Amino acid sequence: MLHVQKLSYAYKKIQALTDVSFELRDGEIMSIIGANGAGKSTLMKCIAGVLKTQENAVQLDGRPLARRPHQVVQHGVVLVPEGRWIFPGLSVEENLEIGAYVVGSSKQGKERAFTMFPKLKDRRRQRAGTLSGGEQQMLAIARGLMSDPKIIMLDEPSLGLAPLIVNDIFSIIQQINREGVSVLLVEQNARKALNVADRACVLEQGRIVKQGTGSELASDESIISAYLGGKK
Amino acid sequence: MFVQQLITGLSVGSIYALMAVGYSLIYSLLNFTNFAHSASVLIGAYAGYYYITLVVDNPITAALCSLVLGAILAALIERITYQPLLDKGARRIYLLIAGLGISIIGENLIVVLIDGRFHAYKTALSSMPVSIFGASIGVIDLIILLASAVALLLVQFLIQKTKVGLAIRGAAFDLTTASIMGINVRRLILIVFIIAGSLAGLSGVFLGIKYTAYPTMGNLTNKAFISAVVGGLGSLPGAVVGALILGVLETMISAYVSSAMRNLFAYALLIVILLIRPWGLMGKSMEDKA
Ligand SMILES: Nc1ncnc2c1ncn2[C@@H]1O[C@H](COP(=O)(O)OP(=O)(O)OP(=O)(O)O)[C@@H](O)[C@H]1O
Ligand SMILES: [Mg+2]
Repeated sequence: MLHVQKLSYAYKKIQALTDVSFELRDGEIMSIIGANGAGKSTLMKCIAGVLKTQENAVQLDGRPLARRPHQVVQHGVVLVPEGRWIFPGLSVEENLEIGAYVVGSSKQGKERAFTMFPKLKDRRRQRAGTLSGGEQQMLAIARGLMSDPKIIMLDEPSLGLAPLIVNDIFSIIQQINREGVSVLLVEQNARKALNVADRACVLEQGRIVKQGTGSELASDESIISAYLGGKK
Repeated sequence: MFVQQLITGLSVGSIYALMAVGYSLIYSLLNFTNFAHSASVLIGAYAGYYYITLVVDNPITAALCSLVLGAILAALIERITYQPLLDKGARRIYLLIAGLGISIIGENLIVVLIDGRFHAYKTALSSMPVSIFGASIGVIDLIILLASAVALLLVQFLIQKTKVGLAIRGAAFDLTTASIMGINVRRLILIVFIIAGSLAGLSGVFLGIKYTAYPTMGNLTNKAFISAVVGGLGSLPGAVVGALILGVLETMISAYVSSAMRNLFAYALLIVILLIRPWGLMGKSMEDKA
């Protein structure tokens, strides 16, 4: 279980997060929705150790989570960052191998990745920078899974993708979750994010203003008007 | 005569290549030019000199000794100077200035602790010619050429075929992304400095054998820097090609034109190359890097 407790973060002048608390239980999908600039990516970077926060703000199974990014991965928590950030000059296969850096061998992971994303198998020797946007997002997710994480954090996986591919991505997310990986999902596409979520939070200007099950939030009047385009 | 000059040029070029690859490696990871590189060259040259003078006249073990010292010095410089600056998120210009300071300190320490004179290696090898294709070639040039080739091939293998090499290639794209893959970026940077320092130490001993050891010899790293830029900063094969071109060109010009024209001609040509291909011979084009 990942427990975030009173996490605050400020960039030099901007207070991006204030006293954010929530927990991600084992095996569930939790969605975080919020407008542009609400602090969603900041929150994920704090958990991943990319941004430094207070010592005990993030706990994994009752113990403080390590604070340096590579240690966070070693502890089974991995971030698939907003904008994908695949390694464009490396081949698809090499991208996957880097994802497996903390585990001994990349063989099993690659098999799993290629079963989940057959397209990547066909393109394994191709430079990752030449993949289409959708394929790059698949690669980013597959690369994140290579470290065999307990928890995967996905920052806007559907960003900039065509509706059909977005559906693919969401079914992949559910498949990953069925295989036992807990998912922390940040999405602009609030309707879909609430549909797949066991529980969800709403982040506004760095604070969590609402928490509940996915269906509770999906039927909440204020959320419908603010995030779901007004109609049910 | 021509073959002889060619071998000499290649051997000079291979020394530049040892230094240039180090520049390029560090640049590819951190996007700055490590001016402290010359300190590892200096320590390599002087260690080699004292080793051959005081211990035993064996260029191979001397080279190994210089390699190790060059690596240790580079690691210390990285840990004491660059790492704290990087941790503070200092802009690259500060690292550049710190490196420049270290290189000047190194030069002056040699003058103060030893002296400002030229120290010629007292090795029997330097005057021993062998005959190949009817040309008489210095044994030392052949040794330098071979040893450099072996060292550079080893580095190439490390970068292309090992897990650490893959991490380095990934980190060259973006350090933060590498870190969220589980790569300990701080340690990776240290490893890269150790590789670069080893090559610099090795180049120091070779420069010493060829030209003597002296306090301002660190200036020769300028040529390596230029080789790396001509080849395409960040590209290792590019650094090697750039260095070999520069070495051969310099040697040919001093042999067939005049040694006074050596630097003038070589640099003029390099500037021309940069005007035509500013990203270097084997670098990615500007748009590609974005
Ligand atoms: N590196 C930075 N330096 C200064 N301010 C930043 C930095 N990164 C983000 N911010 C600010 O912090 C706030 C939260 O940004 P964040 O990227 O976390 O938002 P977000 O919810 O992920 O938005 P989006 O939906 O657009 O991705 C914003 O006001 C943003 O301008
Ligand atoms: Mg964001």
